[in-house]
Amino acid sequence: MTTTTLPLRARNRYVGGLLTVRGITGLALVSGLALAALLAPLLTSADPLAQSGDALLGPSSRHPFGTDDLGRDLFSRVLHGIRADLAIGLTAVPLAAAAGCALALLSVSSRAADAAVQRAFDLVLAFPGLILALTVTAIWGPGRLPVVAVIALAETPAFGRLLRGGILVQREREYALAAHVGGAGRLRVLFRHVLPNAIDPIVVQIATALSIAVFIEGAMSFIGVGIRPPEPSLGSILSQSTGYMGTHPSFAVAPLVAVTALVIGFTLVGEALNRGIRQ
Amino acid sequence: MRSYLLKRVPSALLVLVLASFVIFVILRLIPGDPATTLAGPDAGPAAVEAIRARLGLDRPLSAQYVTWLGDLVRGDLGPSYAIGGEVSDLIGQGLGRTVELTIGALVLTVALGLALGLAGATGRGRGVRAAARAVATAALAVPPFVTGIVLVLVFAVALRLLPAGGYQSVLDAPDIGLQYLLLPALCLALPSAAVLGRYLKDGLERALAEDYVRTATAVGVTRRRIIWRHALPNALPSSVTVLGMQIGQLLSGAVVVEAVFAWPGLGMLAEQGVVRRDYPVVQALLLLLVGVFVAVQLLTDIVYAWLDPRIRWE
Repeated sequence: MTTTTLPLRARNRYVGGLLTVRGITGLALVSGLALAALLAPLLTSADPLAQSGDALLGPSSRHPFGTDDLGRDLFSRVLHGIRADLAIGLTAVPLAAAAGCALALLSVSSRAADAAVQRAFDLVLAFPGLILALTVTAIWGPGRLPVVAVIALAETPAFGRLLRGGILVQREREYALAAHVGGAGRLRVLFRHVLPNAIDPIVVQIATALSIAVFIEGAMSFIGVGIRPPEPSLGSILSQSTGYMGTHPSFAVAPLVAVTALVIGFTLVGEALNRGIRQ
Repeated sequence: MRSYLLKRVPSALLVLVLASFVIFVILRLIPGDPATTLAGPDAGPAAVEAIRARLGLDRPLSAQYVTWLGDLVRGDLGPSYAIGGEVSDLIGQGLGRTVELTIGALVLTVALGLALGLAGATGRGRGVRAAARAVATAALAVPPFVTGIVLVLVFAVALRLLPAGGYQSVLDAPDIGLQYLLLPALCLALPSAAVLGRYLKDGLERALAEDYVRTATAVGVTRRRIIWRHALPNALPSSVTVLGMQIGQLLSGAVVVEAVFAWPGLGMLAEQGVVRRDYPVVQALLLLLVGVFVAVQLLTDIVYAWLDPRIRWE
């Protein structure tokens, strides 16, 4: 085995994991919805915020998903809602990953920093997310920023713990010792040898974290402390629809399917990647 | 045991006091103050100042904190700024309703968790066990607000069996109250039941692999009796601690589920408090949630120490 085959094998394990029933289903769900959200301006000419007199209509050729209580086109609102959820997840999760990885690197380089960082992680993990969500929105008021902040804060410890654990294990392996004996400095061993071998769980966690992000955005908007109407997000559209479930059940169906498909899609991708890296 | 309690209880109280300080300071750092909000957009600076003085917001932070803490100990949480009424009344009313929902969910969690655990570990045929696993996975993966809406669409809208939402106290009218309670309690119980079921299934599988089960089978004890009299009692203790940890989860999950079913408990109060910037309400709510959380942790630790004497002597 030569060194050049290593990155190739690593890539194959991800691809191998994704090329399973689980992985393909997850990827299809996520990419289908993402594509629809991205192409929203081409797929529909309706303004997601434009109100009209045609309130609470059922599905028709003009309004494929019908209209909401203020006569806004639901097809357009759901597409823009998926957009909002993806935008929030794709902002918050990289933030959490970067913060978690930075804190993990800090942890493995100093004993005192490690103790402080781990206690901070304990604190965030121990309290129910609801307390975090209420505190953050009490400070900022409802909106997109506090949702991103809550998701990023809630997810940082998972990234930090995974990378720290991985580095601590890999650092004791013989190849790391060999590199050290061969004259590589501490930082070179860490970044060139240990880190690339500890990064796999982080990749899996990114997919899982995206599904949790959709989960948190939905829950926060649903109880009214996240994104609030008129701005469309999957949680805010669902929250609106609950008032009309008795009389207009079709209102809830499209956002319900979208949010479920997104959550399950990301979960499946995460599981597929996880199985891939374990092979 | 007493020395363990003497060590553990004060540290829990310290956490509470620290949390109260953090909550108080954080909410005071908010830009935009309640006096301006209360006075309305047309009010002049004099009117805003008058409201500020009436609410005591013009005094130094430390003085405000000491007053609040003193009132808190006496059970007086002061008037709400925006919602109206006394905060202690609002919290008391909301808490009663949320606890009612949580107790309902706890009962269902135990029942469903037992069923899932038993079916997963001892179900006849691979189909039953696979089905139990699939139900548990789905219950954990799907967000509770999605489950809630699906339950309403099926049982309230399509089948017209149960009300879609609203609240009627079980204590005042048990038959009607239970109808309102069933769907929200089920929705809240599903994720916790999945967690409990998973632990129970693992515990049962471990117990069923023990020698005493083989011996019991060999002497002719029926399968049913082995599961209920021998395996289950040995699998229960670890599951009981899991259930303890789920109580905190149920209480905070209740806030989201309440929004689906228009259940007027703490969740609704939290939304109004945050959106209308009602400091005293949000402050009291956060402290209550932290208090419940600290109490559950303390109880879990005490139960562990009681079950495992080694912890006490550390």
